[in-house]
Amino acid sequence: MKFAKELCISAVASALLSIATASAAQTVSLGAVLPLTGASASVGDDQRRGIELAVEQVNAHNGVLGQKLQVVVEDSGGNAATALSSARKLVSVNKVPVVLGEFSSGITIPVGEYVVQQGDVHINIGSSSPAIRKIGEGSFSVIGLDDLSARFAAGDVFAQSLKDVAFIAPNNSYGQGVASEFKKRFESLGGKVSSVVLYSEGQSTYRRELQQMSRSSPQAYVYSAYGQEAATINREAYELGLSKKKWYGIYLTMCTSDTVPQAAQGQEGLEVASIGAGGKTYEQAYREKYKEAPKSSFGSYAYDGVMVAAAAINKAGAADPAKIRAAMKTVVPYNGATGTIAFDDAGQRKEQPYDKVKFDTKVVAR
Amino acid sequence: MYSFLLHVATLSCIYALFGLALNLQAGFAGLLNFGFVAFAGVGAYASAITSSHGYPAPIGILFGVVAAMVVGFFMARLGRNLASDYWAIATLAVAELIRTVALNENWLTGGAQGISGVPALFRSASGVQNDPAFFLLALAMVAIALFACVRLSRGRFGRAIRLMREEPALATSLGYQLVPLKVKATVTSAAIASVGGSLLAHYMSFVGPDYMLASETFVIWTMVMIGGLGNNFGVVLGALLVEAIYSAVPFAKDYLNISSDIAGAVRLGTIGVVLLGCLLVRPGGLLPEKIRSAT
Amino acid sequence: MLQFIVDVLIRTSDIMLVAVGLSVVYSLVKFPNIAHVQYAMLGAFGTLALNRTGLPFSLALIGACIATGVVAVLLNVLVFKRLLRSGSSIAMIGSLAISMILIAVVLGIAGSRPFRYSSGLSSPITLGSTIISVDQITSIACGFGCVALLAVLLFKTGVGRSMRAMSSNPALAAATGVDGARVVNGITFLSGALAALGGTMLGLTESVHVGLGTNLLLPVFAAAILGGLGNPLGAAAGALLISVSETLVTNLDFGWLFGTTDVYVPVTYISAASFVILLVALLFRPYGIFDREVRRV
Repeated sequence: MKFAKELCISAVASALLSIATASAAQTVSLGAVLPLTGASASVGDDQRRGIELAVEQVNAHNGVLGQKLQVVVEDSGGNAATALSSARKLVSVNKVPVVLGEFSSGITIPVGEYVVQQGDVHINIGSSSPAIRKIGEGSFSVIGLDDLSARFAAGDVFAQSLKDVAFIAPNNSYGQGVASEFKKRFESLGGKVSSVVLYSEGQSTYRRELQQMSRSSPQAYVYSAYGQEAATINREAYELGLSKKKWYGIYLTMCTSDTVPQAAQGQEGLEVASIGAGGKTYEQAYREKYKEAPKSSFGSYAYDGVMVAAAAINKAGAADPAKIRAAMKTVVPYNGATGTIAFDDAGQRKEQPYDKVKFDTKVVAR
Repeated sequence: MYSFLLHVATLSCIYALFGLALNLQAGFAGLLNFGFVAFAGVGAYASAITSSHGYPAPIGILFGVVAAMVVGFFMARLGRNLASDYWAIATLAVAELIRTVALNENWLTGGAQGISGVPALFRSASGVQNDPAFFLLALAMVAIALFACVRLSRGRFGRAIRLMREEPALATSLGYQLVPLKVKATVTSAAIASVGGSLLAHYMSFVGPDYMLASETFVIWTMVMIGGLGNNFGVVLGALLVEAIYSAVPFAKDYLNISSDIAGAVRLGTIGVVLLGCLLVRPGGLLPEKIRSAT
Repeated sequence: MLQFIVDVLIRTSDIMLVAVGLSVVYSLVKFPNIAHVQYAMLGAFGTLALNRTGLPFSLALIGACIATGVVAVLLNVLVFKRLLRSGSSIAMIGSLAISMILIAVVLGIAGSRPFRYSSGLSSPITLGSTIISVDQITSIACGFGCVALLAVLLFKTGVGRSMRAMSSNPALAAATGVDGARVVNGITFLSGALAALGGTMLGLTESVHVGLGTNLLLPVFAAAILGGLGNPLGAAAGALLISVSETLVTNLDFGWLFGTTDVYVPVTYISAASFVILLVALLFRPYGIFDREVRRV
């Protein structure tokens, strides 16, 4: 009896939804899987804003194929299983030809693999692990991967005469990638990485990890961590007195997005350059709509992802995934908010500009 | 929309397998196992690891079943001396232990990343996973498991474990040895759960340590309790019902335009309220256990 | 060495109060109440809410403890007593349902991000070779102080005697004039308040978030079981033991095995250490380490 009622409600809901989707045929829909909840929620929110700005920009200029552009945003929940369900819904219910996302490499890889397996186009807007390369044909990255960032970071740290460092990053494909790349580059320059700690995501304390790192008495700490976890790490480092040594953050806005400013004061780091040729326009539009400066540089990558996808669909002449895949390769080089975007043979961004930054109550250029 | 409904139906079948397995252990034998998800997780990982080394899927499933049976054996022997409350927590600890190992041992399990790209069991011409075929396989597995469980519960073994659940002293006096019975019930349950886990790995094309969180065991317990502890058909119904509620929430979120946090809260809260309601009003579940009369 | 002791004390105070609260009430209700750790989460959020309305931290804390105690009593009377009629396993599943509802309510109201009581940082204090923060000292002092107070209450006062009597033999206690209902409610209130205090302290040293209770589930149960369910001081000892094993495992340098320095067990195996201890202890002493009860063979 109860079950029959449940069945009726689900049937009615699905019928209503199919009517709704049918009437949306006048729009071209793309999909996005973003971390709207979880450790990276601040960045996910910024990515969502970047997408909104891009949609407004596209629709103000005739839309896509003469129709309105719409991006359906789903929550990844900060874990791969939820992200995969969201991707599944986007691909099979909303029938989008392109899926953008996510932020964490550990989630982007399974989502990307699923999306390209289903024949659609995947655009990586936030992950940088070198393992992204293996997602395969049909996946493109508008953000540079970590072999580039690690090289930059290693050089930057070594140039400051810091020869013995400890490294902490999350225990997922992003963290593993950036840790091994950094260690390789740093040691080839002549430095020493005396301790590499990969922390488990989602813990509420990282005191023990920090204590293990501090035992090797490094000259500096190099770290990369997601917003809320980074806030905990920074706070506990301060409480343990470790923040008296130099801290260097890879993707510093991500590392400090939720941190109490006092704990991060004086940190240095690198950041993906968010002000390219079209960057100023992006920043202005962001300030106008949201009344504050861009929260992170990842919003501009999401913006560029949508713009490149829209351009590719226009070039392909149809919202057909196979045609869009081909068009993506020819619509570049594209001048976006993050600079000139060009793809190498594997669909990954060829050149990635980085900025040297430091934290002085917020992230500023050095 | 049709393919999404198919998705819900397939997941319901997989969870029905879990429900039937837990029912065998908890419903019939009265063994409160809160680390149940370890069996499913072991099966899922076994399938993922063997297929990433290139072996065909049935080998992976078999491997998973063997591994899960070993874990089940260990859990049951642990329960030899323990009172049921303590054993429940001990099984929870064992599951957490296995999850911690899966989280850390990158070389074996891919660590926190898990193993992605697990091949689909049925591929159509374009290489895309053939969902209807998979659904039929899952349905077939449920039918087989249901048949097996019904036969077991009606047979001597079923009577013995139910007697053990109700009157252990009487069972011993009749000559049944309790520990081997517990072991058999746990190990059989582990095997069925492991098959479900392997199917899940191939369906989601991904396996991660999050599959073995304690919260997953609680979901399966909820399905079993709502459907009817001790009734095979009941737990299948419970799995379908809970999965339907779980899947309806994202649509409600779209329709009513509520935020993701609230959607998560509504999903969890609905399940909790339904479970509590069931326990207070109808502790036997929607389809309670059939107590056969003496005649 | 001092750092080791400080680490142990910090970790112990994280789980001790909640474990003691669990143990205190167990002998009365006779089922493992999974919702108990969610009382800790409720208490932490309660203190946060009261603090945000302008009350100073200590008053907010007291308010939250009282409120959580009342919630615990209400849930016990309205829900758990009824469920216990159908058996302790049904009650355990019921406590699972209550946990889900509590988490859902807090998730819906407060969201999933972590909160802190004050937006400033707690300045570190150097004590010899070790560093500790004011928050951590507060937590340790509160924890051990409350357990000491509880011990005094249980063993030196008439109320405590009634509680212990009810715990070991309800029928006999009633026969000697102990008011059953009041004592049960009193004990339940106490356990809820202890859990809320423990949760707030944990929120102070770490952060207040909706997963606070769930993270505590296994360590708290492990501590309570190690000490023997129903033995509150045993639970405190269990918490200490677990904390020692966890800190020992991650502080020991295994470099000598590999010929280098600074080789440590990965921190994620910490919880594994306490579970292994629990499982091993249960194999040899199935009813807890401090078990002295005589059971028929």
